[in-house]
Amino acid sequence: MNRDEGKQILLLYRNPADAQDPQIAEALELAKADTELSRWFENHCAVQNALREKFRAIEIPVALKEQIVSEQISNMKAKARREKFVAAGAITMIVAVLMVFGISYYSDHSKGRPPAPTLANYESDMLYYARPGYGMDLATNDLAQIKDHFTQTAAPADYILPAPLAQAAATGCAVKDWNGAKVSMICFATGRPLPQGLPGDLWLFVVDRAAVTDAPDSATPQISKINNVTVATWTENGKMYLLGVQGDEAMLRKYL
Amino acid sequence: MAGPDFEKIVADYYAQLYQFAFSLAREEAEACDLTQQTFCIWAAKGHQLRDTSKVKTWLFTTLYREFLGARRRQNRFPQVELDSVTEALPVILPPDVNRLDSAQLLDALGRLDESHRVPVALFYLQDYSYNEIAEILEIPLGTVKSRLVRGLAKLHELLTDKIKS
Repeated sequence: MNRDEGKQILLLYRNPADAQDPQIAEALELAKADTELSRWFENHCAVQNALREKFRAIEIPVALKEQIVSEQISNMKAKARREKFVAAGAITMIVAVLMVFGISYYSDHSKGRPPAPTLANYESDMLYYARPGYGMDLATNDLAQIKDHFTQTAAPADYILPAPLAQAAATGCAVKDWNGAKVSMICFATGRPLPQGLPGDLWLFVVDRAAVTDAPDSATPQISKINNVTVATWTENGKMYLLGVQGDEAMLRKYL
Repeated sequence: MAGPDFEKIVADYYAQLYQFAFSLAREEAEACDLTQQTFCIWAAKGHQLRDTSKVKTWLFTTLYREFLGARRRQNRFPQVELDSVTEALPVILPPDVNRLDSAQLLDALGRLDESHRVPVALFYLQDYSYNEIAEILEIPLGTVKSRLVRGLAKLHELLTDKIKS
């Protein structure tokens, strides 16, 4: 190592810790033996110290530290707000999804679930069967045939027709299923002109009394009006009867 | 993180980081931004650092990376390429240095090629060991030394010109 090389290496020297570097250590040894290099090195150290002091005199902006800390606190608050917003959004989304599924589930199960076995539901459903265009299993005016049909289909067949009704003109019959119970439906015509598509205007429905929770206990017909149909309900020998007619109570009473 | 730990780390290192940032950017606003951003990154990722003795090095490395990223985006820093180490090193005397102010020193530093400017800034500002400078800049130790020698020689040359003028 010559003097110039020593100078270049000693450019890296700042303090005694740097002497641990083998190259610097070698250059320092050279400086001890070389007076000119030694003087240069002494001046170099003084210049280095002066330069270091100058560099470290770079002014720090006032309140930079406070600005950094407050900025971070502000960032954290903003982040917390974002997280709350996201959490609230997620909860809202979950609730909405649950509601949609809940409504859908309830709706599906409501559709599939049988109606409560109340008299009101029974009346409503039976009159729905008697809407215009309804079909009959058997079209006949023979009440014996009708009874046979019910017997064959395990529908209530041991019914007792009120005497006036037994004189009415039967047009046919059908068997309906209501809440798991068979319902015997007998259609009659009162003799009035029938609307098109309506095979009868007087209907008798017979079901086991146990199928309707609040079936009337009495054998005396109870009269009520449902839309334009007048109905009578009564119970006799374990069967509940529902007779409906398109007309008023007077018309209905002709068949009781 | 903005609790006592964060505040202590800011208090311990913000001044050194700012000076380093200023030596790189040479603009107060950008130096403040770099310092601020470095602590933001520390707040987000500092917990991943297992060795707490490396906090200072981690901060300087992060600041330098941020500077490089910003520089790549802006590419507006003038550079002076160094050809080779001057054959005869210029002689500067301590009284000459004392006639210069920090702004003139930083101006001379800023005229260095960036690959030399950054190790020189770490060399003067932080008394980092050569190994630590190599770690921060993510370059080999030998490269650090050669860049320092070239950078210091060029800096002395530029300072000599300033003193003469």
